[in-house]
Amino acid sequence: MDILSAWIALIPVTLAQSLILSFVVLAVMLPFRILSFPDLTSEGSYPLGGCVCAVALVAGVPPLPALLLAAAAGFLAGCATAFIHLRFRIHTLLAGILITTMLYSINLRIMGKANQPVFQEAKVYDWLSGLSLNGSWTKIVLVGALALITYLALNLWFATERGTAMRAVGANSDMAEAQGINVWRATIGGIGLAGAFSAFGGGLMVQSQGFADVNMGLGVLINALAALMIGEAITGRRTVRHQLAAPFVGAVVYYQLISVCLAAGLPPGDLKIATGVFVLVMLAAPTLGFGRKGGGAPAKESFKE
Amino acid sequence: MLQIKDARRVFFRGLPDEKVALDGLSLTLDRGDFAVVIGSNGAGKSTMMNAVSGALMLDKGSVHINGEDVTAMPVHARARHVARVFQDPMKGTAASMTIAENMLLAEMRQNPARLRRGLTHARREAYREHLSYLGLGLENRLDTPVSLLSGGQRQSLSLVMAVSGEPDILLLDEHTAALDPRTADLVLNATLRAVTALKLTTMMVTHNMAHALEYGNRIIMLDAGRVLLELTGEEKARATVPDLIGHFSVKSDRMLLGA
Repeated sequence: MDILSAWIALIPVTLAQSLILSFVVLAVMLPFRILSFPDLTSEGSYPLGGCVCAVALVAGVPPLPALLLAAAAGFLAGCATAFIHLRFRIHTLLAGILITTMLYSINLRIMGKANQPVFQEAKVYDWLSGLSLNGSWTKIVLVGALALITYLALNLWFATERGTAMRAVGANSDMAEAQGINVWRATIGGIGLAGAFSAFGGGLMVQSQGFADVNMGLGVLINALAALMIGEAITGRRTVRHQLAAPFVGAVVYYQLISVCLAAGLPPGDLKIATGVFVLVMLAAPTLGFGRKGGGAPAKESFKE
Repeated sequence: MLQIKDARRVFFRGLPDEKVALDGLSLTLDRGDFAVVIGSNGAGKSTMMNAVSGALMLDKGSVHINGEDVTAMPVHARARHVARVFQDPMKGTAASMTIAENMLLAEMRQNPARLRRGLTHARREAYREHLSYLGLGLENRLDTPVSLLSGGQRQSLSLVMAVSGEPDILLLDEHTAALDPRTADLVLNATLRAVTALKLTTMMVTHNMAHALEYGNRIIMLDAGRVLLELTGEEKARATVPDLIGHFSVKSDRMLLGA
């Protein structure tokens, strides 16, 4: 019972965190699933967004423009990854690692130090102070609304001609090009968008925790990936709507699982192995024959002559 | 109208296995021409098709479509003029997307994607109608992912997508070679109906000599990156399969079997 009550006590905090991090999960999903561009840039664009947001806040920029600045910086980081992949034919994963590595130095330069507190500055969460909610619930309401808006906006986007074209680039880029779609523009735009979401998440996190740290991105990618796998196992990937819901559902469920582990007394140091096991189980489940229909990838493509 | 002038393309330049794929190839197709392209493996057929579609840039020479110089135009820009069906049914469609979405993508060749709703009701009705001509029942499966279709169905869909919007040039790159004989006939017949009805300027590569004689109004035989032989009208009507095969410098089994 101790575990249960400990877990329930943690729910507001973990829920707020998971909603913020769902933007990073989205930033992992878009390149990976929609553009077939496995990308690691989020590991760098997340702290980039955090650093940019913190510096902007300290410089007196209001909280929302600070978030948008963060997103713009993330957009550029994503564009850079996509560009070096397209132009120099560097593998997408390597391109992302290169940009992430370089971003570490850039993030340090942006802040001028490894850590920047922003406790005193105004935050987006202050907007809801009139609702007199408990701190975490303010964040849950605000970020939840942002996540919902993002989900709906992306659904609309992928129903447009341009959104369909972007999906086609991921589905079959040669075919997309032969249908008059500018593959470069769609790829750079799509990866840039993912970078923007990741950095936006970083900005939200900085405003939530009250400081930015150059190391805040450490391991965020594997957490996001774990969340995505769990989300896809729940929502499936049958339609764009299902695929787009996976990051949000996955983030919430994953961080609750982590929270349960912590409530059960798992030392924080062991969380990484727990995360690894989650990802492994999610990836392995379909091959063991009890995977949900449409969830995850089949172990083997159905045999075709 | 398609005009290829003195096209030259060398692969592996300066290396021991340097290969001259196009060696000063010149070719003119008039509007409405249906040219069947034959030639041994390595004669330059695919390279020529790629040069027309823009998938491959020429070292020298030029490509004009309807008088417009498209030599330096990238694939996606040239898509406004050129549609193509590949040999591999997987290449011409986006497998993870639905039939309707694929049809929508084909529309983007003529009208570049804009920020407006994609699959409108009117469009779905139009796709239903276009697909019904195939007689495969695809019109009732608009929301089925293309990955669930058979090779023949996918190739038929590729064909409908290619002829939609009436491209200036239609390239058919051995587009029935990967299909079983019955399906191949079905797709070929659909091709002929569409090409005739829409009077499309078409280039079809085939290794089947009987098809070369039976279809189209011109036979173009390539060899070593040039046009070796061109038959039109009377000459084409009089030609026989052994005549054609006689011109092949390398006789591969496939051509003989195809005949």
